[in-house]
Amino acid sequence: MYMISPLIVVVLAALVGALVMAYHFQRRQALSLTLGAAVGAGAGVAGALLVMVPLNFCTFEAERQALDFIFGVVLIVIGMAIVLIAANWLVPRLVRRENLLAMADTQHGAFRAGVLPPLLFLLPTLGILGLFLYYPMFDTFRLSTLLARLGAPRSAFICLDNFTRLPADPTYMRSLMTSFSMAFAIVILALALSLLIAVMAYQPIRGARIYRTLLVWPYALSPVIAGIIFRLLFNPTAGVLNYVTGSLFGVRIPWLLDPGVAPWTIILASVWNIMGFNILFYIAGLQNVPSDLQEAAAIDGANAFQRFFRITFPLLSPITFFLVVTNTTYAFFDTFGLIDFLTGGGPVGSTTTLMYKVYELGIVNRDLGKAAAQSLVLFMIVIAVTVIQFRGSRERVTYGA
Amino acid sequence: MTKRKFNFLFVLVIIASLLVAIAPGAAQEKTDIEVWIAFVDFRLDWAVDVANKFNEAYPQYNVTIQEYTDYEPLLDAYTLAQEQGNPPEVIQLFEVGTQFALDSGWFRAVSEIVAGREEIGGQAVAFDDIVPVVSGYYTIGGDWSSVPWNTSTPIFYANTNLMEQAGVEAIPTTWQELEAACEQFQPLKEAGTIAGCITWPNHGWFYEQWLAQQNELLVNNGNGREGRPSEVNLTSDASVNIVQFHKDMYDKGYYVYSGVQRDWTGTVQSFSSQQVPFIMTSSASAGGITNSALETGFDVVTSRMVYDGEVGWTGNIIGGATMWITAQDDPAVEEGALAFLLYFNNTENAASWHAASGYVPIRDSAITLLENVAADNDLGWDIDNKTRNALPAGNWFELNPNFRTASDQLGESELTLATAGAVFGTFVETRNIVTQAIEDVMLLGLDPAERLAAAEAEANVLLGEYNQLYVE
Amino acid sequence: MTLAARPGWRRMIPKRWYAHLILITAVFLMGLPLFYAVIVSTQGNADVFAYRFTFGDQLERNWNVVMNVRGLGGYMVNSFVVSMGIMAAKAVLSLLAGLAFVYFRFPGKWLVFGFVLLTLMMPTEVMAIALFRIVSGLGWGDSYTGLIVPFMASATGVFLFRQHFSNIPAELSEAAQMDGANPLQFLFRVLIPISWNAIAALCVIQFLYAWNQYIWPLMIVQDRSKQVVQVGLRTLVAGVETGDSFGPIMLGAVIASIPPLVVFILLQKQFMSGFALTRDK
Repeated sequence: MYMISPLIVVVLAALVGALVMAYHFQRRQALSLTLGAAVGAGAGVAGALLVMVPLNFCTFEAERQALDFIFGVVLIVIGMAIVLIAANWLVPRLVRRENLLAMADTQHGAFRAGVLPPLLFLLPTLGILGLFLYYPMFDTFRLSTLLARLGAPRSAFICLDNFTRLPADPTYMRSLMTSFSMAFAIVILALALSLLIAVMAYQPIRGARIYRTLLVWPYALSPVIAGIIFRLLFNPTAGVLNYVTGSLFGVRIPWLLDPGVAPWTIILASVWNIMGFNILFYIAGLQNVPSDLQEAAAIDGANAFQRFFRITFPLLSPITFFLVVTNTTYAFFDTFGLIDFLTGGGPVGSTTTLMYKVYELGIVNRDLGKAAAQSLVLFMIVIAVTVIQFRGSRERVTYGA
Repeated sequence: MTKRKFNFLFVLVIIASLLVAIAPGAAQEKTDIEVWIAFVDFRLDWAVDVANKFNEAYPQYNVTIQEYTDYEPLLDAYTLAQEQGNPPEVIQLFEVGTQFALDSGWFRAVSEIVAGREEIGGQAVAFDDIVPVVSGYYTIGGDWSSVPWNTSTPIFYANTNLMEQAGVEAIPTTWQELEAACEQFQPLKEAGTIAGCITWPNHGWFYEQWLAQQNELLVNNGNGREGRPSEVNLTSDASVNIVQFHKDMYDKGYYVYSGVQRDWTGTVQSFSSQQVPFIMTSSASAGGITNSALETGFDVVTSRMVYDGEVGWTGNIIGGATMWITAQDDPAVEEGALAFLLYFNNTENAASWHAASGYVPIRDSAITLLENVAADNDLGWDIDNKTRNALPAGNWFELNPNFRTASDQLGESELTLATAGAVFGTFVETRNIVTQAIEDVMLLGLDPAERLAAAEAEANVLLGEYNQLYVE
Repeated sequence: MTLAARPGWRRMIPKRWYAHLILITAVFLMGLPLFYAVIVSTQGNADVFAYRFTFGDQLERNWNVVMNVRGLGGYMVNSFVVSMGIMAAKAVLSLLAGLAFVYFRFPGKWLVFGFVLLTLMMPTEVMAIALFRIVSGLGWGDSYTGLIVPFMASATGVFLFRQHFSNIPAELSEAAQMDGANPLQFLFRVLIPISWNAIAALCVIQFLYAWNQYIWPLMIVQDRSKQVVQVGLRTLVAGVETGDSFGPIMLGAVIASIPPLVVFILLQKQFMSGFALTRDK
């Protein structure tokens, strides 16, 4: 039994689509209202069916929660948006009889060899990407709607339960918080420290080249190795760091034991691991900062700090943006090996990141459905973070002279 | 190096690596039997040595041993290997995986392969020789699903030198005595000589032991032994009592927590480096701990796992693992695997295994053999040279009292549904849930009863889902 | 650049001793963990527990444990084969794709390009479980194939070569066509010889990436004879319980770090230019 029958859902989608497109076609594309309404209705229906047919409209079943309903509506909106945007691009060009597959770029020195050779050259890349990236992604979508266990003889369709249960799962919300706060701390610390060191190492001092090499190598070590080495330093029994601080200052920090400290241990190890990468790029960026700007500012009476923050730092912003994205990716994904060797996600889940949780769920607990759902959420978070950073940076980033 | 030379080398490296990548494997002739075990230390060496001897004696087989770091990763890897369609012939599976293994349909029951015979491939079956605690746990309706190997129980290890230093006279046997002894160790802790009084891995296994000691069930339907269980019970008085004990020990600074769950390694290290005077861990560490204490220069005495003196002691559950045979299309491979496992656990090997590690001798005949070790024997294990050597003649248990504790503890246990141990499909996951709950209570200072209620709900959802997929 | 070219800096930072101080502190702090690991790799447990900060005399014993008992050499070989395989395949496939994108006109190029572009946003780790099912279904578990093939394509590489080729003067390809060279001949005789820097850049990035992979080999390989070193180190870590000590673990970690360290330090420039090229569109 459905609370709202699929027919009504589809009709509503058609109506909304028709309204949006009719308006849009008339005002923006200078095309007829009727055409817009017709295309919009079709696209609305297609978008709604695109997401709801695989789900069998389960989110609108009577026995479902309000949350399922909301998720269903959001999904339909997303599905409709995808089809509507495509239709908005496609239909006007069809009406104007443009060649859809024409290439905008006028390539220099192209071979006149027809379609076959370039497709043959592209085939291996496209095949691998399709089979090992796109297909797994669709399979993840399918898995995320199932109650499925690795090795179980059966699986059961459970609609969006794997998603709708997440907000009520305290361990999930905790790892969400952990992931974000650790990523934030890693990015800020790694960038600030690297910038400081890069500015120092960039100065015309003796041995600058040697300094540079001695500062960047930790990036070559894998997170796994970083985890092993830091386990030696922070080990509760033979940990050398506590021995040193204990005998010098009488302070022994529970590096791995205290849920308030352990995330900082991971952050410290991560920053150590990735700083070399940042330093490398900041030094390269500093080499592109024009010195005449600095000199002009110096003549105007700006002190070193003012010059740095008014001139150098803004000019480095494209690099900073690039590093924010790569460091965020590192914090979300690459810390897995480090965490696995250093804390195993503990204590009390204080170092369980979203990625670690997906692995624990999917492989250790063999709960494929939940793991798939959580990895999709993680995927969307990564896309959102990238897009937000990209949009934010487009406004503020100064692309150097 | 000139650029041209560099380029040339570069191309060479690429071609060479592609060639290596596509090199074909060698052809096989013998019946291959791959065995996965969860040990990477001398226990692995011991197993490899037995496998080599078997291969020599029965050249039609080629038994290879592959090691994993622990039971959990081994089971994870096996599950993945099953998914890939190339599982090994035999795996070592820990006791809590029993029901899951039965439900998975991946394994051939040993009784089915034996089919009433008394000898398989020249090896005597002799299951009636297996000690009762072991057969009680692993047989369901008198049938063997797997071949037992390493059987252990948690015992108490005490550093008597540190005890002397603190003026602690007797090794504690109850929670109450333990707390009193720990109080006496506090000055040493404050002086920085030791990190605390006691440690044990934060692992659901210890919780399960204490539950059994108090004669309480973990799941309904007679701990799963009278029917498929439908509910996990983590909120019983006995259960809350255990977690409260954990919390008290931690809050008072007696219990040293390494911060890592299931940390067998770190806990033993703190004991071996004399950071803690007491440790509770598997009897399987008896050999290792005794040896490293000898090297470091202190004395170790083992005794039974402490229990709540106010409730009393019913008994302990056995722990450890058994060997499961993957169901094959070819019965000859299954028979070969079983022949190896019977050889692996014959009287001499069972005795040697106990003497090398501290695991309980699983055959009555092995106990008899150890009580009367002859002058000329091949039962000892030389860790450094990885070979068998001779044990001192005489009664092994009298010469090595530390190795007796485990058998005594199990042998004197009263057999009830609680001490027989729970059987259910999500035992592995439930154990992790309990471990997490205990950690949360200790480190976050949560209320034991409330946290256990949440853990119970979580465990019940999992069990429900499991039953939905595996049981009609 | 020389000092003379930048007189501005000289006046701006009067106290250079300060820079030396910060840099030396940074070098010291960053180097300390690895340096201590190297020291411990020569020690026995007694030295470690006594916190001796001098080289010990157990290197030979630790080496024996790492290489002969735990078989780290085998893992190293596997890591090497897999990293080289991934690196070589990515270079070849990306070169071909770059060639197709720059030197050919074909309908729907933007769509195909978008298809490749989107994969930059898809981390393999997120799809690992589904990928595992697919690769297992193909029967590639426990094999170099399963470790290499899913990673043979590289969006990074395609962009790098597309960018690089676009900056090459069109006269080259026009001349080649006049000489009657086919596209592959053009690629091998003209493009590759002038693209070694870009190729080396891609290879460095991909070698490090492949060598340091952890989750995927952990999932797809169960047979230790095919396992890579990052996962192989787990057996060393677990060996601590009774027999082994910290020494072998650290020795293993140090040995496993040598190839990426050497590659990274020697080819820093290529590594950077690889990233830089793909970055500016």
